[in-house]
Amino acid sequence: MTCWSCHGATAKSTPFCGSCRKLQPIGPAEDHYSLFALPREFALDPRELERRFRDLSRQFHPDRFARAEPRERRIALERATRLNDAHRALKDWRRRAAYLLKLAGQDVFGEGRTFHDPDFLEEQLEWREALALARADGDAAALAGIAARAQARLTALEADCGRFFDEQDWFSESVWEIARRLSRARYYDNIIADAERGAGTP
Amino acid sequence: MGRAIGIDLGTTNSLVAHVDARNRPQVIAADEGRPLLPSAVHYGADGVIEVGAAARRRAPERPVDTILSVKRFMGRGPGDIRPEDRGISRFDESGTLVRLVVAGGARVVTPIEVSAEVLRVLKRRAAEALGGPPGGCVITVPAYFDDAQRQATKDAGRLAGLDVLRLLNEPTAAALAYGLDKQVQGTFAVYDLGGGTFDISILRLDHGVFEVLATGGDTHLGGDDLDRVVARRLLESGLTPPAATPSPAVLRGAMAAARNVREALTTEPAVDADVELPEGHRLHARLTRGELEALVQPVIERTTGPCRDALRAAGMAGVDGVVLVGGTTRTPAVRRHVRALFGREPLVDLDPDTVVALGAAVQADALDRGGREDVLLLDVIPLSLGVEMMGGVVEKLVLRNSTIPASASQQFTTYADGQTGMVIHVVQGERELARDGRSLARFTLKGIPPMPAGVARVEITYAVDADGILQVAARELATGLEQAIQVKPTYGLGEEEIEAMLIESIEHAEADVTERFLREWRVEAERLLAALDSAFQVDGELLSAAERSAIEERLAGLRFAMSGDDSLAVKAWIETVDGATRVFAERRMDKHVRKAMAGHRVDEFAGEPRTTRPESDEEH
Repeated sequence: MTCWSCHGATAKSTPFCGSCRKLQPIGPAEDHYSLFALPREFALDPRELERRFRDLSRQFHPDRFARAEPRERRIALERATRLNDAHRALKDWRRRAAYLLKLAGQDVFGEGRTFHDPDFLEEQLEWREALALARADGDAAALAGIAARAQARLTALEADCGRFFDEQDWFSESVWEIARRLSRARYYDNIIADAERGAGTP
Repeated sequence: MGRAIGIDLGTTNSLVAHVDARNRPQVIAADEGRPLLPSAVHYGADGVIEVGAAARRRAPERPVDTILSVKRFMGRGPGDIRPEDRGISRFDESGTLVRLVVAGGARVVTPIEVSAEVLRVLKRRAAEALGGPPGGCVITVPAYFDDAQRQATKDAGRLAGLDVLRLLNEPTAAALAYGLDKQVQGTFAVYDLGGGTFDISILRLDHGVFEVLATGGDTHLGGDDLDRVVARRLLESGLTPPAATPSPAVLRGAMAAARNVREALTTEPAVDADVELPEGHRLHARLTRGELEALVQPVIERTTGPCRDALRAAGMAGVDGVVLVGGTTRTPAVRRHVRALFGREPLVDLDPDTVVALGAAVQADALDRGGREDVLLLDVIPLSLGVEMMGGVVEKLVLRNSTIPASASQQFTTYADGQTGMVIHVVQGERELARDGRSLARFTLKGIPPMPAGVARVEITYAVDADGILQVAARELATGLEQAIQVKPTYGLGEEEIEAMLIESIEHAEADVTERFLREWRVEAERLLAALDSAFQVDGELLSAAERSAIEERLAGLRFAMSGDDSLAVKAWIETVDGATRVFAERRMDKHVRKAMAGHRVDEFAGEPRTTRPESDEEH
């Protein structure tokens, strides 16, 4: 790698040039995990992610380069953008799982992919019915109960996904198990949002 | 390079601040010795532009030519003007941008130009206070401002000749000032109710990291809305002769009266309003604090929804503290509402009027120095950014409350065989249908090679920078064809328009400066003449006849210069008179010192000429 500014050689993994200290562009091979120097795993300590996120933000945030030359400013903007995008993708377990599937070549939520989950249909109807009833009655306690139950389901789904990712050969065995759970999680997220919205309006 | 400055460009008032040599943010006196510069601009029929309190004083007599609360029109089109915002202004609704007809119909200006006039004055005041033109600057915007409103604010900064380093969200600026000054830690809500906008931000403050978790608000909710309901009540109960539909001029007068009543009721239990209004009307009414609170309560209630939504989006049940920002939060009913809503006694240690400008100054100073080790601001985008799909549905690419800078891309395909173009409609907002959202830009991607439907792959990339401003790029993947797209914002100014305005404003700026200096030097000359006149009466005997006539000769020169319009001539004659009277001043000093030592009071020196100097003449 050659530094864009001083044309000296720079180590591939260091963000700053060793000789002129100018910020270097992100290498083409970097992904969300490698940006944080974290292993590609579903299990992730959120506090560690936050710590690294802040640490790296302090280094690359465009605020630090407001008076730098235009090229370095652009690189800082690009780095901070990638860092924020990666942080967003990793901090939420649903997005993190989908990202791991995508890295493995399985874009399960890509364009034109709809997910069929017939076993789940009946349960969906029950949730919707309970929600409609509680909203019609303006029953705040019932709505809060629905949100809490959906939240419990989400917690269980996250644990499930963790187990599937832990399996030795998760890729061939578990992709669709994980995808199904992510699809269900999306449903529970909507239930919670609707229940909370219902509670917010008198 | 000059010192960096922070600017709070407010709906009602604007401020400028800087960080002093002791590393403390300080507000600079911006208008008639006060820190608050009313965001009022008067366009005289003679071409003279006045800004601030002087402009606001002209509002009753020259309502059409005096623009108030122009921030409500920033980044807006004629179709966005709400009936209550029309007031008495005259609009030119031929273009995509709001345009105001001023100067007795002689000029048409955009809100960007009007804001630039306010910014220009702030820049000048900063230059005077700092002893030279300022360096970079940070301008604050409501957190809930959309892309078009942000772009308009940045354009106004450019037009005013400012080096805009960053746009900063107002609540974040306030949190920065608070966090550094009070060393607070934890999760905070910043409740910012200004003249025309409401913002709520939830932040986590942790050892110098100011991380915005969620933001929300209403760009059409503020003190003006409180005044409107109060004005309506005053007009109903106390207008003589009564009018079923009061004219805009009467309404504006009533709004001003309502504002005074509302502010007075902060400390008084009841207030009598008794004012003359235009067109022979008189407004005489009494309002108690209880009545006021009943009137404004429904308006204040409108802040509840955004607060709840922001808390939910931040994943918080409550906060450790609430910071109040904006002059409208002085209203006791607002404070009570905030206390009930968050279950916390709001923090009011810092002046809610100046705290945003102070935070902006801190950020400007930090940016200018390449960042501060102890501070990191992580802000978010307030509204989702999406693209219109077939059928008018919006596909969101960058979700609201995403930390900025941020990006997202999405692939789209053609729907007809041989399709070579694709219309891309960029939309901002949370609504599902494009027609309900804010249309930011619409452009056509051309040159897609003819292929069967669904084969071409076009990747649209949205990139939001640290100011919250969007850039769009498109790429056709099947052929690798990359297209640079010039996104023409629906509610922005084109590059050429800005260039033209810059040239025009430079011409105007010169005329403005000349006019202003002429006035100021004339005032100074009058002061000098009056001082000398009284000095001659008291101490005339200290001068010989020859000395006296030499001075009189120069005074005649000064009087002649004052009758002309050459400010430099007036200034030169003032200096000449100054030089000619120095001996006289010294003799007077001696005489009075002797008298003082003989037991007289020293303040008899009051007649001494040249006590103050007008501002520095660096701008000549």
